[in-house]
Amino acid sequence: MVSPSWTGMRGIAQVPSYVIMQPTTLCNLDCGYCYLPLRARDLRMPVPVAEAVAATVNAWAAVAERFSVVWHGGEPTSAGRAALADLMAPFDGVEHHIQTNATLVDDEWCEFFAGRGVRVGISVDGPRELTARRVARDGRPAYGQIMRGVEALRRHGIPFAALCVVGDPRPGLAAELYAYFLDLGCYALGINVEEREGVNVRDTAFPGAAVRAFWAELTGAWRADPRIELREVEWALRYMGATRAGTDDELLPRRIDPIPAIGYDGSVVLLSPELAGFSDPRYGDFSSGNVLRRPLREIVAGVAAQPDGWIGEYLTGVEACRASCPYFGFCGGAHAANRYFEHGRFDGTETDHCRNSKIRLLEGVLDYARAE
Amino acid sequence: MPEPSDPGDEAVPVSERIKGAEPGLIALLDEAEQTWRGRSERPGWRPFEDAFPTFYQFTNRPR
Repeated sequence: MVSPSWTGMRGIAQVPSYVIMQPTTLCNLDCGYCYLPLRARDLRMPVPVAEAVAATVNAWAAVAERFSVVWHGGEPTSAGRAALADLMAPFDGVEHHIQTNATLVDDEWCEFFAGRGVRVGISVDGPRELTARRVARDGRPAYGQIMRGVEALRRHGIPFAALCVVGDPRPGLAAELYAYFLDLGCYALGINVEEREGVNVRDTAFPGAAVRAFWAELTGAWRADPRIELREVEWALRYMGATRAGTDDELLPRRIDPIPAIGYDGSVVLLSPELAGFSDPRYGDFSSGNVLRRPLREIVAGVAAQPDGWIGEYLTGVEACRASCPYFGFCGGAHAANRYFEHGRFDGTETDHCRNSKIRLLEGVLDYARAE
Repeated sequence: MPEPSDPGDEAVPVSERIKGAEPGLIALLDEAEQTWRGRSERPGWRPFEDAFPTFYQFTNRPR
């Protein structure tokens, strides 16, 4: 039985809450599960691209409670401090975030972050043996370099969040991971169960019972010491609390955030930055325009007003999720990139990502509660 | 239709199972509320998803 009453996630918002900026395609690492197709090349974003984005973003930020610019997609510190400073300079009234592998973070980078109020998220997958797929281009483990970066952040008192990719979700792992991140000192943690997308084609059809047990165990670990803001488990709990209060339909945004991802060359990919750099005979390069030729606000507003091509197909897929999936109120519909890279199109519904990171998450938290 | 997609899933929709929650879930939610209230008393604290824009993978954040 499916609730017919979910009213959120209808159509695309004309104004996002953040943009993603790719200062360089280069990443100094070569992680085993990475989805980025151009990570071995150093294609740099020129300042006029940042200026063009800022012309729209500064106006959005002026009337928003807060607006974030996220530097991501490639390793942003690979661009160097001077280049990143030049790219940040046109922005006004925004909050800068960086998602980094931390391997290049040193005292100078920490001073850069502190001086600009940059919020830092690092990527690490747990203890050394669990981070083994994070490797340098010569194949050497990156863990030591990552920890040197973490030490620098600690030395400078810079709070950091962490993203952890889990490639083998199973019972026994979650408690170990949570204890590790407590010790690491991050204030927030996101768990990304590995996804089949981009150039990562590894099968992600993990055994359902193992994934549920992973989430259940993680729930128990968090409950025992909830110092870390634990993204997935806490969102599940928030949804459950709202369901019990009868306010669950208010949790999803009314409209879908377009999440503009600005490629190094100014091209704009909406909804799923993982699609940037790919092309398909049916859909083209997934780009909705280029900020060097058309203002970002026009690109976004144009798509929101008239979503066609792959974005129109995606919206059809969201409606199919709404009509068929009892978890829609929690999830809001499968993500565009997961649909494409798993199904080859955008109007399908359930994906491995749905199963691993939404359905089994919710069920795992329920399993934990039921056993208590 | 994804439910039931895993062995062990109940035939009852998940929302109904949450509403008919057993004491274990009610206690867990009460503790979570206490945690969130405690955090909200910290100067400068914001809800975690607001501090974490890479959350796009989860909530498609804005209202």
